Amino acid sequence: MSLDYVKFSGGFEKFMPKEYRDMVEHGPFGKKISVSQMGSFKEILEEHPMCAGCAMTLFIRLAIIAFPNPEDTITVGTAGCGRLAISQAAIPFVYGNYGDQNGVASGLSRGLRLRFGDKPKDVVVMAGDGGTADIGFQQVLHSWFRKERFTTIMLDNEVYGNTGGQESGMTNRGAVLKMAPLGKKFEKMDMLQMAKVAGCAYVATVVPNNPRRVESVIKKAVLIAREVGSTYIQAYTSCNIEYAIPTDKVMEDAKTVENDRYQFTEYVSDEAKQYLTERYGYKDYLPKAAAPAAAIPNKA
Amino acid sequence: MYLVANISVEICASKSCKLCTQYCPEANTIQYSETMGTDKGFKYGTAYIAVDRCKGCALCVWVCDTLAKNNAIKMTMIDQLPMAAVTDNIRYEEKTTVAVLSNPMIVIGN
Repeated sequence: MSLDYVKFSGGFEKFMPKEYRDMVEHGPFGKKISVSQMGSFKEILEEHPMCAGCAMTLFIRLAIIAFPNPEDTITVGTAGCGRLAISQAAIPFVYGNYGDQNGVASGLSRGLRLRFGDKPKDVVVMAGDGGTADIGFQQVLHSWFRKERFTTIMLDNEVYGNTGGQESGMTNRGAVLKMAPLGKKFEKMDMLQMAKVAGCAYVATVVPNNPRRVESVIKKAVLIAREVGSTYIQAYTSCNIEYAIPTDKVMEDAKTVENDRYQFTEYVSDEAKQYLTERYGYKDYLPKAAAPAAAIPNKA
Repeated sequence: MYLVANISVEICASKSCKLCTQYCPEANTIQYSETMGTDKGFKYGTAYIAVDRCKGCALCVWVCDTLAKNNAIKMTMIDQLPMAAVTDNIRYEEKTTVAVLSNPMIVIGN
């Protein structure tokens, strides 16, 4: 894995489709890009079969743009809607059996470290709420307890959207769905608390109606996972089909849900704060008392 | 026929907030071009739609109307668009894209 794998093989350039040529010549590999440049470079994500107006796709699009080193990143997924888009990107995608994505990512992450040593190779798991909190729950929690160094992102649409609308552990209490006509009888699982208890170094909730925040959260999570430990991002990505949200109101719904029960929260362990500050120059985590003291001599 | 987003160059190139490019769920669908606005004498560049990738969700219409308050995007039947950008006619440059507009129905029918 390196920038070489996105280059043309000699003599084949003229036979490649336009999308491939655009990707090699104007893609984000080896460059620093941000969401503010969207629309002016060729994106890693390509056309995909996800539903029109899907907030999950928007989140995946933003997440892939936010990867700090896309050429050195492997995504891991499992059954669910998300894999339909994640697999249509020009970065390697590993498709596990249902629920074993964190087990696969554990082995992959360790293998990459053995093979490439200190050169950062990022493993990012993107799976739905069913894959993360229900069927893959055991492997997810154990990977966190083992402090496996990769990022887990839950695409939380609060339903099994791919199979017709069954309730999941992340569905809210009382929610009536096509395959849960009496309403869910139990509370939504508190995966954030579990991630903290299991020892994740970074835990955050995010809603895709704030692209810059999504970018910042993903970058931090991937960077921390390189050395410090497991990181977890829980993203609200509504299912406009199962929850009957008109496509043009998807962001309005995201905003309402963000204000209601999905406020932005971020937990960063002390070790991760120190790592981000020292290694990547993040200034947000500097001790507050030190900042003005350092500023006084400059002003004088 | 089906609806696709249609961005008014006049409004977009005088505001240039670029919000719609960040909210579209489809990749490389809402593109941004400096020259398509400035060549027509406007202050900024403009966003435009690669109509062959647009799924017609109208999410960008909400973003333009409600978040940006520019009201520059309307949903239009694809055969009502006289000229539009399609992916094959979009070229990437250093910090912008350039599209040669064509009749979208003729290109799609090829």
